[in-house]
Amino acid sequence: MNASAGSANERALLAQRLQDALTALESGDEAGWRREIDALAASRTQPMMAGLGRLARELGQALGELPTLPSEAGELTDACARLDHVVEMTEKATHRTLDLAEECRGLTAHLHAGELPADEQAQVLERIRHNLTEIALTQSYQDLTGQIIRRVVGIVRRVHEGFGALGLPPPENESRDGLAGPAVTGLDRHAVSQNDADDLLSDLGL
Amino acid sequence: MRILIVDDFSTMRRIVKNLLGDLGFTNTAEAEDGHAALALLNSQPFDFVVTDWNMPVMTGIELLKAIRADARLKTLPVLMVTAEAKREQIIEAAQAGVNGYIIKPFTAQTLQEKLGKIFERLGASA
Repeated sequence: MNASAGSANERALLAQRLQDALTALESGDEAGWRREIDALAASRTQPMMAGLGRLARELGQALGELPTLPSEAGELTDACARLDHVVEMTEKATHRTLDLAEECRGLTAHLHAGELPADEQAQVLERIRHNLTEIALTQSYQDLTGQIIRRVVGIVRRVHEGFGALGLPPPENESRDGLAGPAVTGLDRHAVSQNDADDLLSDLGL
Repeated sequence: MRILIVDDFSTMRRIVKNLLGDLGFTNTAEAEDGHAALALLNSQPFDFVVTDWNMPVMTGIELLKAIRADARLKTLPVLMVTAEAKREQIIEAAQAGVNGYIIKPFTAQTLQEKLGKIFERLGASA
């Protein structure tokens, strides 16, 4: 059935209900007109209830699918906890990388001094090579945090679409503190580059 | 030259500290927000401040304004290193008396250039 035939059908059904309700009212059939009015009201609220139910179910499922989630169905607070975990993971990985990089810098200074016997030089080079491998491995946080972020993006998108389907517009997005944060190419049109900033500052006498 | 590095992310403080170290500035201290920075500035001598903008408790722009409003600290050079990249914000920082403005992510070269420019200007005015 195509959309216009469907809506024509709905209109006919609606007209029939209204007609029946009117007939029942005029003939003093109180139970009859109440039944028709209730049916009309139900036909209006059912899609919304179904939409809310689907949204709640999808949210529960989406959160339930996430790795290391407690088995009870979570809510959006759980998505927040996951993002906090991402912050923690990226912080840890960055510190690990910086530790290794700092050690390598120290080692190169050691080599640079040129006072090491050949076998110790080989050891230092091996240590640097090992650290570089470790640095590469540490980057695997990107895979894990990427997966978590994608899941949360999915949750946010489904909630957004769910609200859309219910005809409830999401609240206007106002920046909480007036700060824009890191600019994202293609999304933040008001962000300037370092060069633009330099020009602007030199215009201001800096 | 003693430099105070202010950022709420410990990783960024470390990165800035390393870059400054490479440029020969090894005498640094760290603070995690403007409030902690002010406490340090009021208890120890510093010659330079590198600060983020968006931090909890007290932001970098509030720190800058507090420094400029303090008779003892007002001439302290402040370099803003921030992800905030709107024209209005850069203008606000300039009007508040910032000495340099670097947008994250940045390179070691940018940091070196801006520091050089600030010292050059300070040297000329001294």
